Amino acid sequence: MNIKITYNWLLEYLDTDADPYEIQKYLSLCGPGVERVDKVDNSSKGGLTDYVFDIEITSNRVDMASVFGIAQEAQAILPRFGKKAKLKQNPLTELRFKWAEKFNDKSLPLTVKVEDKKFADRLITVVLSNIDIKPSPKLIKERLEMCGERSINNVVDISNYMRIALGQPCHIFDYDEVKKHTLVVRESKKGEKIITLDKETVTLPGKDIVITDGEGNLIDQPGIMGGFNSSVQKNTRNILLLVPVFNGAMVRRTAMLTGKRSNAVAYFEKNIDDDRSESATIYTLNMLREYAGATQSSDIQDYHPTISKKKTLAVSHAFIEERIGIKIKHEECKRILENLGFHTSFNSKTTKFTITIPTPRLRDISIPEDIVEEIARIYGYHNLPNTMPPAVFLPKPEEWEKHFETQTRIKHFLKHIGLHESMNYSMVSKELIENMNLEVKHHLKLANTISEELLYMRTSLLPSLVRNIKENEGKADVLRFFEVAKVYYPQEKELPKEIYKVALATNTSFMDLKGITEALLSELKINNYEQRKAKIHIFSNQEVVDYVVDGEVIGSVGKLSTQLQHKNGLKSQVYLASFDLISLINHAKIISLYIPINPFATIKLDLNVKTGKRTYDEIKKLSFTTSNLLVKMELVDIYNETLNVRYYFSSAKKNLTEEEAQKELQKIKGLV
Amino acid sequence: MNIDSVRTLFGKNLQSCTTVRQLEELEIAYLGRNGKINELLKNIKNLQANEKKQFGSELNKLKTEITSALQDKRQELFAKNDESVSVDVTIPGDKYPKGSLHTTTYAIEEISKIFEKIGFIRVYYPEVDWEYYAFDALNMPAGHPARDDFETFFLDTPAHPRLGRMLLTPHATNAQNREMRRLKSTPPVRMINIGKTYRPNWDTSHTPMFHQFDGLCIDKNINITQLKGTLDYFVKTFFGPKRSARIRPYDFRFTEPSFEVDVSCGICLGKGCRMCKSGWLELGGAGMIHPNVLKEGGIDPTIYSGFAWGWGVERVFSMKEGLMVDDLRTVYGGDIRFLEQF
Repeated sequence: MNIKITYNWLLEYLDTDADPYEIQKYLSLCGPGVERVDKVDNSSKGGLTDYVFDIEITSNRVDMASVFGIAQEAQAILPRFGKKAKLKQNPLTELRFKWAEKFNDKSLPLTVKVEDKKFADRLITVVLSNIDIKPSPKLIKERLEMCGERSINNVVDISNYMRIALGQPCHIFDYDEVKKHTLVVRESKKGEKIITLDKETVTLPGKDIVITDGEGNLIDQPGIMGGFNSSVQKNTRNILLLVPVFNGAMVRRTAMLTGKRSNAVAYFEKNIDDDRSESATIYTLNMLREYAGATQSSDIQDYHPTISKKKTLAVSHAFIEERIGIKIKHEECKRILENLGFHTSFNSKTTKFTITIPTPRLRDISIPEDIVEEIARIYGYHNLPNTMPPAVFLPKPEEWEKHFETQTRIKHFLKHIGLHESMNYSMVSKELIENMNLEVKHHLKLANTISEELLYMRTSLLPSLVRNIKENEGKADVLRFFEVAKVYYPQEKELPKEIYKVALATNTSFMDLKGITEALLSELKINNYEQRKAKIHIFSNQEVVDYVVDGEVIGSVGKLSTQLQHKNGLKSQVYLASFDLISLINHAKIISLYIPINPFATIKLDLNVKTGKRTYDEIKKLSFTTSNLLVKMELVDIYNETLNVRYYFSSAKKNLTEEEAQKELQKIKGLV
Repeated sequence: MNIDSVRTLFGKNLQSCTTVRQLEELEIAYLGRNGKINELLKNIKNLQANEKKQFGSELNKLKTEITSALQDKRQELFAKNDESVSVDVTIPGDKYPKGSLHTTTYAIEEISKIFEKIGFIRVYYPEVDWEYYAFDALNMPAGHPARDDFETFFLDTPAHPRLGRMLLTPHATNAQNREMRRLKSTPPVRMINIGKTYRPNWDTSHTPMFHQFDGLCIDKNINITQLKGTLDYFVKTFFGPKRSARIRPYDFRFTEPSFEVDVSCGICLGKGCRMCKSGWLELGGAGMIHPNVLKEGGIDPTIYSGFAWGWGVERVFSMKEGLMVDDLRTVYGGDIRFLEQF
């Protein structure tokens, strides 16, 4: 959460020579992060000039989410930078109940019933009479506005002013609208409705804390917002002040389920301490007396079922030094802790500190590591040296090593031969799945997506790549994309299988994509593959091939079927390939095996073979089984349904003659 | 033929010679085994002893003349050869394909190299995970407000009785518990997990899918100065030797103490300038591992301690000079005009 406070307001609690920008810099290094300082100059309108701090309060430190809380931090931090900083007053210790008693005329009754002590750690209530509702004085009004709070009237403003000053939300009811002068705190039933201050109707999910009056009317949504029916109006004469410490988890649950947030929620859900409410009550009473003419007309009723107990922590000096990584004298540790309000004693025999945790920090400080943080941050992280952890050797599982290594090889190779790497979201729309004739029911579905575009976890990279082609049509003539990413196959009662795929997409030609694919296989030294004409529903029946190694299909290349081309609104034909990364990894080699260079001559002979009878792959296989002098075969050209094939013959024992080579060729010719 | 007529003939032949090839033929015709010089030499046996000496010396002179003339002519022809074509040297050369890798790939490769050099091993864990690994194992029990900081996509599947709901991990920290368990809860641990992470935000500065790198170091006596040193090493290697890292207090549930880590601005190096205001830019979170996180990984926090961090890959990459993308959605938009730039 962020809070806004002003520099001059801070100076009411803190005596310092630090300017606003110094405060920003030093506090941010050692304590709360001061995100902005803005100078506000209202002097031309006869108003105040001040600096507004916008401060981020981490959720463990709700105790410092106030002007006074920041003053306490500043007091511990600023002197470390050579700046003067002393607290001028401490409302948390100075303002206590005993102070108020003398003004009470006890003229108005009040009954408070709490049905279960789980609802609140503390509820302080008091009735005030003789209220004069009017605009707030200039100082209060302008400060509230600088801190982002709208000024309403003196009474409402005082409750907000107190919250910013001391970090305790409170609520003020119109006492005469609280029927039978009774507050009942109970659990809500599902579907109960309350109209809040902002005139919105909130329907309760049930099991929320609610407050009703003596006639059962809901008058407050505790910890979130007051009810409209009992709110302070222009003609309000008597008021009921409620200073509560509600159950944070319950307030948070109601706020989440109803979507209703307020400043108060931000405090309560972080579990404020149950001690400051006493001081906050006295502070508010004083303000109401001074700025609204109020008279205290009841006893202060203090419902306080759970009183925080004092807690001490034993922490060894060695632990602090080990964890921070430098030597810090025990006297210095003690000084730092005391400045932060911890009572600390050091036993020089056991070299242990016994640390008493101040009440506002009880919910934050619970383990020795918390003490390490307090000492280290005030000592200054910037004053610590940089060192390195000890060097160790940890073996990396071979499977992981190969995975990352091969992925990198594939990506760089494809890049170097001219492809562009695309990275698409793992989530796809229903449309994208259906556009590739995939079954929606085979996909994991998101329960709380923010867009129809992100509804299912993809089981193929191809739909996204087809979209990449479609969206880039016209932006470049030649499109060649690839993606290496996981797909997600659902499994019953288990996490999905996350399988890496390598997919390619082009708008060029079947032979172009086949060439790229075969170049990639060659780069990975996968040369022992067979090609089989495949039947895959998304591809055309003619232009589609499987690559098979040791009987396992490792991937396919094909032309997207005309039906799907049209379904996807593609102007041009699209060619797609998809491979299992794990198969490529399993068959890939870093370098090829060495074959001794043959010192004898190689004879090249060409042969024309009619297409249609056998596939090239079959011709190749047949040729090699027919002649053991055949060392290499390549396709030179295709024309008129004729393959022009070049054969390379050589012997490892002697120089072949032209005649011997011809004889081999004739053997092959006879068969193919 | 006599010496003089050979000399005259050679002069004529040499003059009509226009290519290096012709010159080589000429050389063979005169100086070769059956060349004209050797022809003349055969005549020597018909001469008187006193004439032999003079003939020999004249023939030698001719040979020297021819050799030197050929040499000169060769140089002349070579020079002429190099001058013969006139070329506009600014015309582009033959075209070779130029592809591209995604910026995130470059970033991931660089980050993993930097950490592997200091012994952090890159790991490989699920992106679709159970609530337990993303939250409970990281000291964030159910209902804890800290979970709000990690808005999360959940999957429409039945919850696991022990491990909770299935989700898309909102951070790469979900690897920590798994890595501790993989090593049988026996430090040392040095891990870098780089992976896809997901949160339900989609605007100019957020994409619903992004990448994080999560580091984990567990050993005996691990302290804050080592965390500072490791992150400063990363910042100097990744952004440049003049840059430095600093840590500030923060609060995360999985670490205690917790830090926000900043890098000094590349323009003012930490002094404060118009671009960065404070001199420092926020990189991400880090901290000393919370004892509960170690315990959940089966590691005794009274013996071991550690540090961890989890930062956005896109974020740190875009903080490199000249890589600030005005709309983060562009990075995963698949536009060729973006992709081909890298």
